[in-house]
Amino acid sequence: MRGGGRHARRRGLSAGGRAAVLLVAAGLVAAGAGAAGLALTRHPDVPRAAALVVLPAPTGPIAAVPAQAAAQVAEPVSLVIPSIGVTSALVHLGLTSSGALQVPPTTSVAGWYTGSPRPGSIGSAVIAGHIDSVTGPGIFFRLSRLRRGDRVYVKRADGTLAVFEVTEVQMYAKDAFPTAAVYGAVPDPELRLITCGGTFDYTTRSYLSNTVVYAKEIS
Amino acid sequence: MRFTRFARRIILLAALPLLLLAIPAVSAATASAATATGWIRLAHLSPNTPAVDVYLYSFGDSSAQIVLHHVAYGTVSPYEQVPTGDYTVAMRAAGAAATSAPVLSASVDVVAGHAYTVAGLGPESGLRLQVLDDQLSTPSGQALVRIIQASLKQSVVSVNWGGHMLQSSLKFGAVSSYQTVSPGTATLTVSGGGDQATASVPLAAGTVHTLVVLDGPNGLQIDDLLDAAGSGTDPAGGAATGFGGMAPRSPSSPLPWLTAIGAGLLLAAAGGLRLRSRRVPAQAAGGKHRVPADRS
Repeated sequence: MRGGGRHARRRGLSAGGRAAVLLVAAGLVAAGAGAAGLALTRHPDVPRAAALVVLPAPTGPIAAVPAQAAAQVAEPVSLVIPSIGVTSALVHLGLTSSGALQVPPTTSVAGWYTGSPRPGSIGSAVIAGHIDSVTGPGIFFRLSRLRRGDRVYVKRADGTLAVFEVTEVQMYAKDAFPTAAVYGAVPDPELRLITCGGTFDYTTRSYLSNTVVYAKEIS
Repeated sequence: MRFTRFARRIILLAALPLLLLAIPAVSAATASAATATGWIRLAHLSPNTPAVDVYLYSFGDSSAQIVLHHVAYGTVSPYEQVPTGDYTVAMRAAGAAATSAPVLSASVDVVAGHAYTVAGLGPESGLRLQVLDDQLSTPSGQALVRIIQASLKQSVVSVNWGGHMLQSSLKFGAVSSYQTVSPGTATLTVSGGGDQATASVPLAAGTVHTLVVLDGPNGLQIDDLLDAAGSGTDPAGGAATGFGGMAPRSPSSPLPWLTAIGAGLLLAAAGGLRLRSRRVPAQAAGGKHRVPADRS
């Protein structure tokens, strides 16, 4: 036993003391784990898609960027976006009876809006595709992952390849859609890729936003 | 009683899960906005002026951003996309040194999303560099067309497209204003003096054209420049391109986690109370331990 009783025992806690400390510790661990779990599960549960397969760049005669007096270029027939694993034939899209953009009849194929310029001719060519079906990913599921500098390839009916480089990726609320920026005239050959994005409204069963990727032709 | 090192270590380890909550969520980054840009093109439209070299300088720069060599009459370059700001266009005789004094120069202020044509116009004796503001948007479902009269031989011309008289008497060196026309393909007829030129010109909806009247090798000649194109008819609103199969589903019930938090706090409180109650017997034991001040 030590004399000079101003100091408490220094040799350590008794067994009972240690048990009390461990109880405090266990309690804090449990509370901490509970709080962590609560915070982490506040995020919604996101379905998983199959792993991304990056594709090789397509080969073929690459079209020159057109001069202003150029003749009409050939119609687009297919689309390849290697960095997000997209390869698709291109169907033709028109307008619905209410004047909105028609969408492809299946979720596994993209479409070119025939009222827009042909990809690779002067102007803003428009291609749209679904982000998902009712059960899984659609052809443009990974569209929002594109970044400036990524390449987009459009093959045309005459076998030539128009090559585009992404300049911007934007998301817009559908009820504030910037029609002029997306569909308006431009003096060089450009491309807009459109799909849905943002929050999915379960009451109307539709996405509230559109993702638009802007790209311009490079030679 | 002081906490021992053992106790401190245990408490710190227990606190780690709480610290992990402070790690901020990583948000997906979208591409940042691109630099603001506009477009410039350069044109030589003076019939009796020899070929020139055309230089484009960003204001204040001594080295040219773009140089076009040996630009002859009738040439209109494609649009170049340039960052917004002030530019200087200088014309020198073809082959002249880049350091020599230019024959002509003009300044252009490029505004975001706008396009400009810088054209050498008029006769050689009265050559001028004119900066034209180019239209890029059309009224929905229509086409826009303007005419540049660059024929010296026919000093005044009339321009007719599919029966529409676009310009009845346009003078040499003049640039007409833009006119809206209903889309279609029709015969363009340019007449002046005893001369005439015709061409089949499609003016599609959503397009902007500049028609240039030139002195060709065989008389009047027409150049149809497609300045810009967009959708002939703009779709209304956005695109219904999703069915929700990959949309995030709502979060699960918080109940199990709240239970864990509550139980953990109760355990910690119980342990804390035990620790506190252990102090009291130690102080009451008397002489061997610390003597409270008021007993001395």
